[in-house]
Amino acid sequence: MHIDFAPELDAFRQEVAAFLDTAPTAAIREAGRKTTSAFAPFDEVMEWQRILHRQGWAAPAWPVEFGGPGWSVEQRFIFAEEYCARDLPPLLPNCLQMVGPLLMELGTAEQQAKYLPRILAAEDYWTQGYSEPNSGSDLASLTCSAIADGDDYVINGSKIWTTLAHRSNRMFMLVRTSTEGKKQRGITFLLLDRTDYPGMTIRPIVGLDGLPEQCEVFFDDVRVPQSGRVGEENDGWTVAKALLKHERGGSAQGPFLRRRVRLIRDASTSASAPNGGVLADDSVFQRDLGEVEADVASYEYFEKLAISGHPVADDPAFPSVKKTMGTELTQKLSVLMTRVAGLESLPLQQEALTVGSSHPALSDEHDLIAMPFYLNSRATTIYAGTNEVQRDLIARSLPFAGRS
Amino acid sequence: MDFSFSDEQTMLRQSVSQYLGRFYAFDQRQEIIGSERGTSAEVWQQLREFGLLALPFPEEVGGLGGSSTDVVAIAELFGEHLVSEPYLSSVVLTGRALAMVEQNDAAREWLAMITGGEALGAFAHEEGRGTADPARIATTATLGPDGYLLSGEKRLVLGGGDAQVLVVTARLLGAGHVEDELGIVLVTPDVSGVSLTTYRTIDGRKAANCTFDAAPVVLLVSDAATAIDGILEGAILTLSAEAVGAMNALVDTTASYAGTRQQFGVPIATFQAVAHRLADMKIALLKARSTLLYTTALVEAARAQARDISLLKAQVGRLGRAVAESAIQIHGGVGMTDEIAIGHYLKRILAIDAMFGDSDYHYRKVGAR
Repeated sequence: MHIDFAPELDAFRQEVAAFLDTAPTAAIREAGRKTTSAFAPFDEVMEWQRILHRQGWAAPAWPVEFGGPGWSVEQRFIFAEEYCARDLPPLLPNCLQMVGPLLMELGTAEQQAKYLPRILAAEDYWTQGYSEPNSGSDLASLTCSAIADGDDYVINGSKIWTTLAHRSNRMFMLVRTSTEGKKQRGITFLLLDRTDYPGMTIRPIVGLDGLPEQCEVFFDDVRVPQSGRVGEENDGWTVAKALLKHERGGSAQGPFLRRRVRLIRDASTSASAPNGGVLADDSVFQRDLGEVEADVASYEYFEKLAISGHPVADDPAFPSVKKTMGTELTQKLSVLMTRVAGLESLPLQQEALTVGSSHPALSDEHDLIAMPFYLNSRATTIYAGTNEVQRDLIARSLPFAGRS
Repeated sequence: MDFSFSDEQTMLRQSVSQYLGRFYAFDQRQEIIGSERGTSAEVWQQLREFGLLALPFPEEVGGLGGSSTDVVAIAELFGEHLVSEPYLSSVVLTGRALAMVEQNDAAREWLAMITGGEALGAFAHEEGRGTADPARIATTATLGPDGYLLSGEKRLVLGGGDAQVLVVTARLLGAGHVEDELGIVLVTPDVSGVSLTTYRTIDGRKAANCTFDAAPVVLLVSDAATAIDGILEGAILTLSAEAVGAMNALVDTTASYAGTRQQFGVPIATFQAVAHRLADMKIALLKARSTLLYTTALVEAARAQARDISLLKAQVGRLGRAVAESAIQIHGGVGMTDEIAIGHYLKRILAIDAMFGDSDYHYRKVGAR
């Protein structure tokens, strides 16, 4: 057994650290501290991606041929560790981790040339059009229809939970192109070049945290070119499944969770304990923090086993296990955050939460983000396949279980 | 980074696993722990032949120079097969304590007998409430004109009744000792002032409460706080590996049972409530195993802090219990019988959790600043 990364990676770590210490602007750092979701404040995080792109580091996991830095999994993990040690906003996942890798896998050469460079340079932002009001976990039941007409499809219906659709200029979506046979067979995957086609309406939905992160998108005879199709007509389910793999497996989350533990620890040294003294010295709090911290460590070790090539990553249920562990830990951490904030979690502070705001937080930045973070994190066990769906998949991976 | 067992470790595991599969199946195990002796001379002899009794010790003291990872690789199998031989008490705890001692003939001789399978040792440390923290040891060894005299009570001394030698932790008093100084002493159970109450534990093991009343002892290690931490670290790593092995067996057995047991005309694994319990068992196992392997690598690199050891102990205790309790629930009534292995795994895991500080104790250490 060897615990360390190869020694030649020390120089790499220093190079990454030096850049991350100096490159981000004050606004980008503030956005990092005020991130209360998997989706960081939009303008600042897109600006940050452009800065990283100029360094060639916007997409650590992308292969060199598509503009990635060609890093090994170990290098990517080191990058994530250094990144998270600095309270920087995580780059938005939809493009870099979802539609980008999907296009590399299944897009045409033309689609790759047209879209990938603009994704990398943060010139485009793509929203995901999957769920519908009546199609959530049972995604294959979707009904938003696309009817071929000449070189176009004509789309009618609606999509919901289209994250940041109101800030996106492009959209990838699943549409129904056939109602015959098995429901999975009549689905097609489309790329939309615009989000302002005639007949397309975007309605932001204010979430529990008071922020319009999610949207509903309505299609009324929206005409889009058929050249935006990925894969064959009626074979979109295969494409969607390939994409879900990227969404659930994702990149290393351990360093992000560890960062959150560190922030909670710091805040607990100045928060009051219910029976006097500071919370950090309260034995009940120590016990509960200890359990969450231990679970974060276990998660991080699980990820490290996977990147070291241990067979744990070959398990077909690996993405589901990772998604379930990571999201449930995010929620546990969010509970600790509101516990540390106590009463200070209750004031609504939308103004102070905005990057660049002249409104100071009523107490401090930890208390400011605790409640929005808690409320937003309720979504983590729902999106990307609910954790109930993940548990179905995990159970099915066990020997003998679930075979009927 | 590499968290896999080496080829040599894998080969040794295969041999031991094959042997246990053949000669230590559940029914055979029950026969052994149900016997008056409670352990098996043949099995112990076989473990000696595999080299396991000498495995963890440096070559200078007659050991095979095995690493922490070697012991973990084997202990996982012991957990999987519910091996109840005194490996932890005699080899991992007592042997390691003796091997730490520099220049002491008695310690060398006892260690040689333990690794040779000619004697058993027991490590008397826990005293009941609070002694997961060695700073709370109340037993004293007082230096007088005729040497050290040991007084106090040690509880749940694993293998205490079968041991020919006891290695005991104590607070050192008398000339030349500073306040709160801890020590490790050696005593044979046949000397005056030593009395033992022996019993079986819930997991089929043999243990004893040992009372010392001015018993004459030999001092092995003074200023021993670090040495005691090191001995307990080895024990916790071994117990955690056993717990992970037990969890692995529980997940496999229970998934298999749920896939075959029919109710309402279908296997019960097809019910989502059961399937999700199984999924949670697998998640718990993966967390525990990842933590075990990572912490083992930390120990092997001599980089493990007290917090890392606490973190591992707490995780295997809590996650192990959750897995074992779910296994019983999924097995239903049959899980409640002493006739199948499931409940015995639970009892082993409960014992592992309770020894050397339970999960609450260790979580609090992780969460403290």
